[in-house]
Amino acid sequence: MSTKTMRMSQLSHQFLTKLSAIVPLAKHWLYKFHGGIFPDYHKDLALKQPLRQGYMPKKLILPLQQHMGEPATACVKVGENVLKYQVIAQAIEPRSVPLHAPTSGKVVAIAPQPLPHASGVAEMAIVIEPDGLDEALTNPLQQDQLPPNNKQDPIAAFKHTILNAGVVGMGGAGFPSYAKLPNQPGLVKHLIINGAECEPFITCDDMLMQTHPAEILAGAHALATAFQIPNIIFAIESNKPNAIKAVRHAIAGQASNSVVKVQLVEVATVYPMGGQKQLIQELLGLEIPHNKHAIDIGIVMMNVATLRAIHHAINLGLPSVSRFVTVSGHGLKEPFNIETMIGTPFDELAMLAKPASSINYSLIMGGPMMGVRLVNNHVPVIKTTNCILANPPEPIHQAMACIRCGECAEVCPVNLLPQQLYWHAKAQEFDKTQDYKLFDCIECGCCAYVCPSHIPLVQYYRNAKAEIREQHAQAALAEQAKQRHEARLARIEREKLEREAKLAAKKAAVKAQAAEATPKKDVTAEPATTKLSAREKAMQAAKARQAAAAASSKKADSAAVKSEPAAPSAEDKRKAAMAAAKARAAAKQAKQAQQSDKKSATESVSVEDKRKAAMAAAKARAAAKKAQQESSDA
Amino acid sequence: MNAWLGILLFLALAVAFGLLLGYAAVRFKVEGDPVVEIIDQKLPQTQCGQCGYPGCKPYAEALAKGEADVNLCIPGGEPTMLEIAEILKKDPKPMAAEATEPKPPMVALIDENLCIGCVLCIKACPVDAILGATKMMHTVIAKECTGCELCIPVCPVDCISMVTEEVSSKNWKWPQPNSVTRIPVEVKAVES
Ligand code: SF4
Ligand code: SF4
Ligand code: SF4
Ligand code: SF4
Repeated sequence: MSTKTMRMSQLSHQFLTKLSAIVPLAKHWLYKFHGGIFPDYHKDLALKQPLRQGYMPKKLILPLQQHMGEPATACVKVGENVLKYQVIAQAIEPRSVPLHAPTSGKVVAIAPQPLPHASGVAEMAIVIEPDGLDEALTNPLQQDQLPPNNKQDPIAAFKHTILNAGVVGMGGAGFPSYAKLPNQPGLVKHLIINGAECEPFITCDDMLMQTHPAEILAGAHALATAFQIPNIIFAIESNKPNAIKAVRHAIAGQASNSVVKVQLVEVATVYPMGGQKQLIQELLGLEIPHNKHAIDIGIVMMNVATLRAIHHAINLGLPSVSRFVTVSGHGLKEPFNIETMIGTPFDELAMLAKPASSINYSLIMGGPMMGVRLVNNHVPVIKTTNCILANPPEPIHQAMACIRCGECAEVCPVNLLPQQLYWHAKAQEFDKTQDYKLFDCIECGCCAYVCPSHIPLVQYYRNAKAEIREQHAQAALAEQAKQRHEARLARIEREKLEREAKLAAKKAAVKAQAAEATPKKDVTAEPATTKLSAREKAMQAAKARQAAAAASSKKADSAAVKSEPAAPSAEDKRKAAMAAAKARAAAKQAKQAQQSDKKSATESVSVEDKRKAAMAAAKARAAAKKAQQESSDA
Repeated sequence: MNAWLGILLFLALAVAFGLLLGYAAVRFKVEGDPVVEIIDQKLPQTQCGQCGYPGCKPYAEALAKGEADVNLCIPGGEPTMLEIAEILKKDPKPMAAEATEPKPPMVALIDENLCIGCVLCIKACPVDAILGATKMMHTVIAKECTGCELCIPVCPVDCISMVTEEVSSKNWKWPQPNSVTRIPVEVKAVES
């Protein structure tokens, strides 16, 4: 771009910015992607207070699953004393990252704890009681002891270090950062530093850019050097003037000694500018194709907090144990940003911000657009927690029918048709939702924000996505079961053939012997006694169970038998069922008798006793089964 | 003369197309009965035999031949019945009363203290999901178990029970805001 055209575009940009103050529609001409909304940001709430640091909670709760992928495996024991930065859970499975102790203290429990997750389920976590000394391990990452083959290869060493440091995407997704990076240099053309932070209320990235711009840039340079990335773009939304100033200053300070120059780009303030696809489209004019990732078109995007964690790992040798969190909301008198340890409970942080009234409502994890209301407020900050929001619940609008106004399609940044998606998701027509590209939806919430009927559109999409994922998982399981069943049938067939072959060989041998001894006598084939296999027996039992149920429903009794085309077989089935039922009753009686015996004899029943009783019951059942078989054979 | 030319030309064309079609019939021959495969795809592959056939495939074959009713697969329940009826262009039939209730997915669990190592359950399991050897403790590979319950009746010491899978953050599903209820197929009232 020549300087003249650049000047022109700058001028037109300035003009549009001025114009949009008067004509709201002009705001849409300031950026390149479709849709988007302009909500109330409330960002000044938490920015009024300076950054807080050094809060020491009473207990730290560290879930083993802090990221996408497999959970880490705990490697400490209850009662053990740990030092700051010590590994407390290892990454044994692929696509997992280790977990480090955020401070020194004692492990008081390794047990399920409620997760900061929409479901509110409890999962394995390590609970540490800090001793307040904050004693740190020296050289926690042991970068000098990398596997020897990693030493020559800067990329392998880099990925190894950030894996060991437990670095995951801190913008929200929590994807392990090492897994996002390629294995060869030169594949990445652009590194985009995401400082857009477009969700209302959240200012933790803003605060980080204001206070630690040099560390973010150092992380970006380390990444760019290792992967030989020629371009670095630092994108910040225009509503963060202080952050822009700080970053510009830091870039000017570093320019002399760095190889790659960082290009600072001020992007328009619109929600969801911080979305990966939206920001790439805005900065480079490129769209990521369906089912592809940014890396496939040579782009790596990192959140500012992630880059700082990378700087800590690569340049300082420190694992990722703390993060910036915004504690904000209308229910708090003194909202703030805090640099806090991973594992700090939400409710303690909310109490620090002087709640206006007692927090008897559920907090929101994340922002008001994409965040979720928690089931339990006593859940820990994890590596992906960017905001704790205490907004007292507003009166809920009753969702009304879709009036097909098309507002939602106007604002969808991915250019989907939200009303069609809603229609099919509500009717559980999942094939059709996929035809309308449900899985391209980024769940940004723009559609639900503008919907005049107050339909909780995003929840319909989340539900539909979950259902489709489960359907796929079940289809995979069914396929697996089918294959295993076929493999089993093949095996049984093979074994049968082998047995027959063996039998034939034996017979031939006997014949030959007999022929030698008494050539006149003929050997007759032995009667083929086909015994029922265990599986067949079980199937008969299953059938009988079903038939018994049918018989027990009195309504269907005579009529059903008559209407059945194969009446005799039904009759047989019923007989069998009856016999089976009788037999089962007998078995149960025997069992009960045993049990009452047991009870009268001793209170504590040993395993041996149980086994004996079960054996007796089994005998009774076996007898019963025989009776059933006979009746079904008859 | 021209008339003969026309006839010859069309004869030649007929022979050429005949050969082409004949070749195509051999080259692109469809193996087996595709309807069986399609139905088999829709069956839950639990291989439980509650339909009265020794597995899902035999039931699919019987359905394709028109020998079986569409409403026999208990684990598949009503949705499967509707799909089968759709494929076979038959009228849907109500399921047996107990089968219309969708059961949560379950897997078998062997009480390892009670197991006597009789290997009977291994013989009964249609998908080889049980691991063990004679006089050794047995265990169920939960990942492979289809929940068919065939191993339950064969166990002489009754040490196998069915358990539901626990909800975790991985398998938890967002609920629908106000979930729609499925409209059941009309159940014919039968006089007693
Ligand atoms: S905005 Fe709401 S009411 Fe309008 S078309 Fe979309 S879903 Fe329907
Ligand atoms: S939530 Fe999905 S459908 Fe709705 S506006 Fe965002 S991307 Fe579009
Ligand atoms: S009842 Fe259904 S799941 Fe069970 S074997 Fe028959 S078709 Fe398969
Ligand atoms: S373990 Fe039992 S319930 Fe599971 S598939 Fe095998 S026989 Fe069926």
